[in-house]
Amino acid sequence: MRDLLIIIKKELSELLRDKKTIINSIVLPTLLGPVLLFGFIKVSKIIDQNAKEKTIQIGLVNAPQNFMDIVESDTLNQVTIYDESIDFKTLIDEETIQTAVVFPGDWKAQMDSLRTGAVQIYRNGTKDNVNERVSGIMDTYAANLKEARMSQLDISAEKLNPIRQDYVEVGEQKELIGKRIGGFIPYLFILTMWGGCLLAAIDLVTGEKERKTIETTLSLPVSKFTVLMGKSIVASLLGFIPAVLNLLGIIAGLKLIDGIPDTFKAAINEMLNFQSVALILLLLVPFALFLAGFIIALVAGATTFKEAQSKATPIIMVIIIPLVLAMMPGIELSWATVLVPVLNIGLGVKEIMAGTIDMLQYFTILASLIAFAVLAVYFSYKRFSDENAILK
Amino acid sequence: MIELKNLTKSFTTKTSKGFKSEMTTVNAVNQVSLECRPGRIFSLLGPNGAGKTTTLRIIAGIINPSSGTAIVDGIDISNGNHEVKKRIGFLTGSTGLYERLNPDETIDFFGKLYRLPEHQLTEQKEYLFEKLGINEFRKKRVGQMSTGMKQKVSIARTLIHDPEVLIFDEPTSGLDVITADSIIDLIRESKENNKTVIFSSHIMSEVDLLCDDLAIISKGSIIYNDTFENFKKEMKADNLTQEFINRVKEA
Repeated sequence: MRDLLIIIKKELSELLRDKKTIINSIVLPTLLGPVLLFGFIKVSKIIDQNAKEKTIQIGLVNAPQNFMDIVESDTLNQVTIYDESIDFKTLIDEETIQTAVVFPGDWKAQMDSLRTGAVQIYRNGTKDNVNERVSGIMDTYAANLKEARMSQLDISAEKLNPIRQDYVEVGEQKELIGKRIGGFIPYLFILTMWGGCLLAAIDLVTGEKERKTIETTLSLPVSKFTVLMGKSIVASLLGFIPAVLNLLGIIAGLKLIDGIPDTFKAAINEMLNFQSVALILLLLVPFALFLAGFIIALVAGATTFKEAQSKATPIIMVIIIPLVLAMMPGIELSWATVLVPVLNIGLGVKEIMAGTIDMLQYFTILASLIAFAVLAVYFSYKRFSDENAILK
Repeated sequence: MIELKNLTKSFTTKTSKGFKSEMTTVNAVNQVSLECRPGRIFSLLGPNGAGKTTTLRIIAGIINPSSGTAIVDGIDISNGNHEVKKRIGFLTGSTGLYERLNPDETIDFFGKLYRLPEHQLTEQKEYLFEKLGINEFRKKRVGQMSTGMKQKVSIARTLIHDPEVLIFDEPTSGLDVITADSIIDLIRESKENNKTVIFSSHIMSEVDLLCDDLAIISKGSIIYNDTFENFKKEMKADNLTQEFINRVKEA
């Protein structure tokens, strides 16, 4: 134990003196959450504001006056009147106009006789802002016409709306939001954890080969297992710490950044309480050791940093796919998924955040992660003991 | 004292040709037997890839032999190579120092793992730092040091636990003459202190300066093993280098 602590201290000192490690394992993970949140809120606001302030060019044919009034009530709408329907596709392609609304010539007669009239709207489906605004205008116009007809026919609104749907939400806000965004949070911090473990494991194993110190390390009067455990623990710490910082960064971001809806903020605060965070972090401890062992086993035979990276990088898919699956709404934590590594963490965190975790399933996940960590460390020890691989 | 008996080390490599893969086993060291005695300097000579480093790594407990025995300072390495490692100081030309630690931290790290008592570690460290002139840069990171400085720290690291057996694997390779000279001094001093010294080299001038006993290794096997005095008596070529080349070619 004493030797293990000496090795851990030395490996940590070495790693934490490397600028690359500080940036990747401390600075980036802490800032990632707040920067993403801040960026998302700012960019959404800017896009929304720009869309609202954007002028749209509408071509009109046979438009009735009450429709024109609605269009012109918004000064951002620029109207071009056409006498007849022409090649609007070309005009839209050339950006002369962005949309065209064509009423039939006998529109007034159709409305007076209380018939349903067809209005042709030329549009480009990719221009969401234009289409949403035209849809808004059409909805307002249709509602006005409907109201006028009901008044003319003396029909009350109640007669046309026989059913009113009143929803009583029994699910807690926390559960709703937890299930919807709960999968996204492990996606962020597990990827951060992977990055931290990867960098540390490569530096501690392949880096030692590149710096020609592996022979010195192996000549120490300690077992290879102690050396390997020291490296695995440090690599897992360098994965665990960024994940914790990432989580803390997200919590701090949610508390400090303006523009997040209060209900959402309250729900997130409730989700990321002490108990939830403790349960999440407890899962991450064996998972970090599993990742560290797994990566060390992968890179043990590599002789250069580049070779190690090319060996380990494709494995990120094994991490991403289960995390993406965990984000999907239909996939939930069950006895079938508790034993699938990565997926079980993704789903487990989702349930923890929603406050619906089954503690028996939680402890099964924890036990399975410990078992996977032991296996990964065993395989990394096997690889680390392979003289062909380690002294290559 | 180092005693090697029929030491063999095989490495198996896998080579792939298309969908087929072949396993090839190579004996890097083959039935090597030799003896290094305290107070004498043993030179292990051989061309590149002859098996010198593999032999020294086995003695140092870094790798395990496939067969045969190695007894170092009375301990069979198969009976626990940690005990053997505690009795060995291992130095290579590449220094093998941790670049992000400073000399103080480096020596503390090794001293603690060699389980030296605190006061002994401090005393020995201060003695070596003073003797080797490390005090001026004891807080400087190894990565920022010159090769000469690094080699001094490497010597201190090798001697911190006052080992009975010293192994030098091409210790002067890539070093300038001044730094190489400090290594030569260290090897001589170790002999004077009655230590068992084995060093590998292919620089014949160094061998001439230091050697008491000699073994030539080629393609994993010992092709000559005797005292340096006898080697010189049996020489047919004009100089040591040519004699060495001839013997390797004849083997």
